Amino acid sequence: MIILSGVSKTFDGKRKVTALDHLDLKIERGDMVSIVGASGSGKSTLLNLIGALDRPSAGWIDVDGERLDGLTDDGLTKVRRDKIGFIFQFFNLLPTLNCLENVALPLHLRGWPRKKAGDRARELLDLVQLGKRLDHVPDELSGGERQRVAIARALAIFPPILLADEPTGNLDSSTGAEILKLVQDLHARLNATVLIVTHDQQVARSCARTVTLRDGRIVGDERR
Amino acid sequence: MTLLRLITWPYVRRHKLRTVLTTVGIVLGVAVFIGMHTANQSVLYAFYKTVDRIAGKAELQITAGEGGFPEAVLERVQGMPEVRVAVPVIEAPVDTGLKGEGNLLILAVDMTGDRSLRDYDLESGDDAVIDDPLVFLAQPDSLMVTREFAERTGISIGTKVPMRTMDGEKQFTVRGIMKSGGLTQAFGGNLAVMDIYAAQMVFGRGRTFDRVDLALNPGVSLAQGRAAIEQALGPGFQVEPPATRGQQIDSVIRVYSFTANINSAFALFIGMFIIYNSFSIAVAQRRREIGILRALGASRGQIRSLFLIESGLSGLVGSVVGLGCGVLLSRGLAVYISGLIAGVYGIAERTTEVARDPTLMIFGLMMGVVTSVVAGFIPARNAARVDPIQALQKGRGQKVTSGENRIRRIAALVLGVASAGLLTFGQGSMAVFYVGFAMAVVAMLLLSPTGALWLTRLLRPVLKWLRPVEGALAADSLIQSPRRTSATVTALMLSLALVVSLGGIATATVGSVMDWTTAALNPDLFVTASQSLTERNFRFPAALGDRLAVIEGVDLVQRVRSHRMFYKGTPVMLVAVEAKSLGDRARRPPVEGPPEMYELAAEGKGVILSDNFARLQGLHYRDVMDLPTPSGVRKVPIVGLVVDWSDQQGAILMDRANYVKWWSDDTVNVFRIYVKQGVAPMDVRQRIIDRFAGTQRLFVLTNREVKAWISGLTEQWLGLAYAQIAIAVLVAILGIVNTLTVSIIDRRRELGVLQAVGGLRNQIRHTIWMEAITIGVVGLALGFAVGSVTLHYILEMAKRDLTGMALPYTFPWKIAAWLVPLILGAAFVAALWPAESAVRGSLVEALEYE
Repeated sequence: MIILSGVSKTFDGKRKVTALDHLDLKIERGDMVSIVGASGSGKSTLLNLIGALDRPSAGWIDVDGERLDGLTDDGLTKVRRDKIGFIFQFFNLLPTLNCLENVALPLHLRGWPRKKAGDRARELLDLVQLGKRLDHVPDELSGGERQRVAIARALAIFPPILLADEPTGNLDSSTGAEILKLVQDLHARLNATVLIVTHDQQVARSCARTVTLRDGRIVGDERR
Repeated sequence: MTLLRLITWPYVRRHKLRTVLTTVGIVLGVAVFIGMHTANQSVLYAFYKTVDRIAGKAELQITAGEGGFPEAVLERVQGMPEVRVAVPVIEAPVDTGLKGEGNLLILAVDMTGDRSLRDYDLESGDDAVIDDPLVFLAQPDSLMVTREFAERTGISIGTKVPMRTMDGEKQFTVRGIMKSGGLTQAFGGNLAVMDIYAAQMVFGRGRTFDRVDLALNPGVSLAQGRAAIEQALGPGFQVEPPATRGQQIDSVIRVYSFTANINSAFALFIGMFIIYNSFSIAVAQRRREIGILRALGASRGQIRSLFLIESGLSGLVGSVVGLGCGVLLSRGLAVYISGLIAGVYGIAERTTEVARDPTLMIFGLMMGVVTSVVAGFIPARNAARVDPIQALQKGRGQKVTSGENRIRRIAALVLGVASAGLLTFGQGSMAVFYVGFAMAVVAMLLLSPTGALWLTRLLRPVLKWLRPVEGALAADSLIQSPRRTSATVTALMLSLALVVSLGGIATATVGSVMDWTTAALNPDLFVTASQSLTERNFRFPAALGDRLAVIEGVDLVQRVRSHRMFYKGTPVMLVAVEAKSLGDRARRPPVEGPPEMYELAAEGKGVILSDNFARLQGLHYRDVMDLPTPSGVRKVPIVGLVVDWSDQQGAILMDRANYVKWWSDDTVNVFRIYVKQGVAPMDVRQRIIDRFAGTQRLFVLTNREVKAWISGLTEQWLGLAYAQIAIAVLVAILGIVNTLTVSIIDRRRELGVLQAVGGLRNQIRHTIWMEAITIGVVGLALGFAVGSVTLHYILEMAKRDLTGMALPYTFPWKIAAWLVPLILGAAFVAALWPAESAVRGSLVEALEYE
């Protein structure tokens, strides 16, 4: 379960910008939730906070029974490495690593033996139908393939929570549909909590719940 | 300009540290170049000025090396119809013994004729002294000093100045103080004038002069006068206008200038790598920006020009700062070089102002700009080739080099083989040798990426063993980015290769000098007229040798007369000694010639040459050389070659009997004394000092003192090499700091991803540290390997074209051992800040970083 209570996030630049404003949200385990809203509504900020990539300016967040506000940076890292898988719009694959190495990377960081990590990575790449492109570096893959590698990497530790920031935003519609189907499939098979930030109404509609943000506040919360 | 303002300037402002680090490479290169050359020029300028001011109205000066010549030469010159006036001169610096004053240049002249060439404008004193030169002559203890010197030291008319003459300490009386201007500014104002015949006694010159200054009769051109005098005196004399005398010092410090050039060239070369690396990364980072510009209509040419102008500007700023730093550096260096040439070469010189040559400054500026533009050329070309469509797609800007370049390796192989071939079969030709050297360097540069990759792969298991996760990540990061890794490693490799080469030369020099010192300088005591063996202004009468020989405990006395002379325009040390005795006591194995060469020289059958002098002059055993002497050119056979460090430019060893005959000079600089077996040298030393106390200027040095002094001189000479080593190390460290900082900044997103997918802060830190240390290890390994090759070439270069010394190949293990912790430490320190900035920055920003 993910709980946000009174969460605000402000950015202090030349002008103070409030990205999230006293937000309360509860997401049940195993839910598949889409977060929609216009650009600048605070969607990505919300995802970064839940993903322990950033800290709120006010309020608290509980991820799977663990309050994030009291944690050190390394504590946040531990939350990420044990509980969260990320899928980014721009993939964020390491350009120098091939598919297998990219997927195995989170496992190496956890000190897994090379063979065990390789076996798991292979398994996951098979799962996203890239079992034949293990040695390819990101630059040799299409956008859809790169996103599949990113998904495989996000699943490397079978995290209870999967966060996806515009996973189809950089893909054409048919590839986007394929990726969405893959995420739905994995959600069903792994029973992970999935949060998808998206502009795409079709992606939003494919989720059981849609939270709508405007100016950092929740203005809609629809369950299907 | 608009593009520069809109695109470049914001980028520079955003990446201030990177811009500074990039520019520092050029700053250092230009500063070293300008510093070394300005210091050189300052020393030469001071020397020229002193020569010029002392010369007065003299049109020509006659010298015979440092040896001087008999008084009769003056009479011959005075009798020539072309000569209006000719006056004798003895010029010798003496230690004032006053703190901060250093040497005082004694200009000894004949007042009866000298005033027609030089103005002695007195401001105080007994005018009668100069109005009637005979009075000056009648009072041989007279001294005139400059107002500057008098003010600084509190001297006034009538002050008694003690001076250690060859006949013991004598009191001299200041009888005139010269007004400022002209002559008095020579030697930084530390000038005193005395009577020449008094000086002959003071310095033990016998009936010789150092020089004749002359003016020609009206209607006689300089060339005519010079030709007539040269013909009359023969080739043992140099007849030159004062302005060209500075060339002597120029040729003496040629070796030093050459090494300074090599060092600045290396510094710039490494600066070029730093700029290349920084600009390559900048182009990669700004692909999106370039894509936008291209999409908005910028042509490839405009993009190329933008980056070239950026690199040019970077070079310009670096050069301007480098010029300033160079001039500052030159102040200290000029003092150092003055000390160096006084100590090592025995040439007194006093540099009081720094020369600023506009041509040199412009050249330095151009050099920095051109180096920078050349370094920026490939990144600029790559920028121009950016495909706007790909560049605009976020996430596609991470294209990475596709590993090894087969062509590069083949080219390196071909160049390497060709270079080895040229080295083996093209020994005779200078051009072939240098082409071979250049090929070897290029081959090594081409191979460095492969070498770096190979070594990193080799190190991967070690790193992984040390820290399984971080070690593997660090090694993989380096292996998978060969271009970035190799640029960093190559810059480091080049610096370290330079350090190894310079260190190798220094180590070999020290070894060779010490070998020579042990074998050739084996007497128990040395009796000298000056505290320094290289200072030859004071001379002993030969008869002193007989008085020394009868002192209790003395077994053998060898008389040595040495002075620098010119052979075919090149300075060389002439060492006259009893050759038979030298062979008996300090025989050196011949490099060429029979073992009995000392006996042959003693029989007057020829001279022994130092092998470096012979090599530079293309002379061999059994050749006959034309030896210029004051009594005419002597055809002298060469009876052997030996390794000899009497002087860096080389030495001619001849039997004393021939020297006395040909130079009409029986004075002695140094007595080499062997004590009887079982007698303590220190006891004999004390007896000598007691015997001559107060009546004879002499210094008695023990063997250990002489060796320590030579060791000190060697260190002083090598101080320059060590300074260059320090600069090369500094460049190496700068290279590491620059490339690591730039490379880690460049990988901000990558490091952010690592953290996002679960990398702990310490894991990221350790990964970066291990990467840096691995780069250090690889750079050290390659630097040592390349340095061991370049050392061979540089030793060969020194042998062929610089000193002629055939130094043994000696890898500088000691310096290498120092470098390991230094470079690894520097790599580690260089990685600290980037690592901290990587782990402490905002993760969200890092993931967004382009």
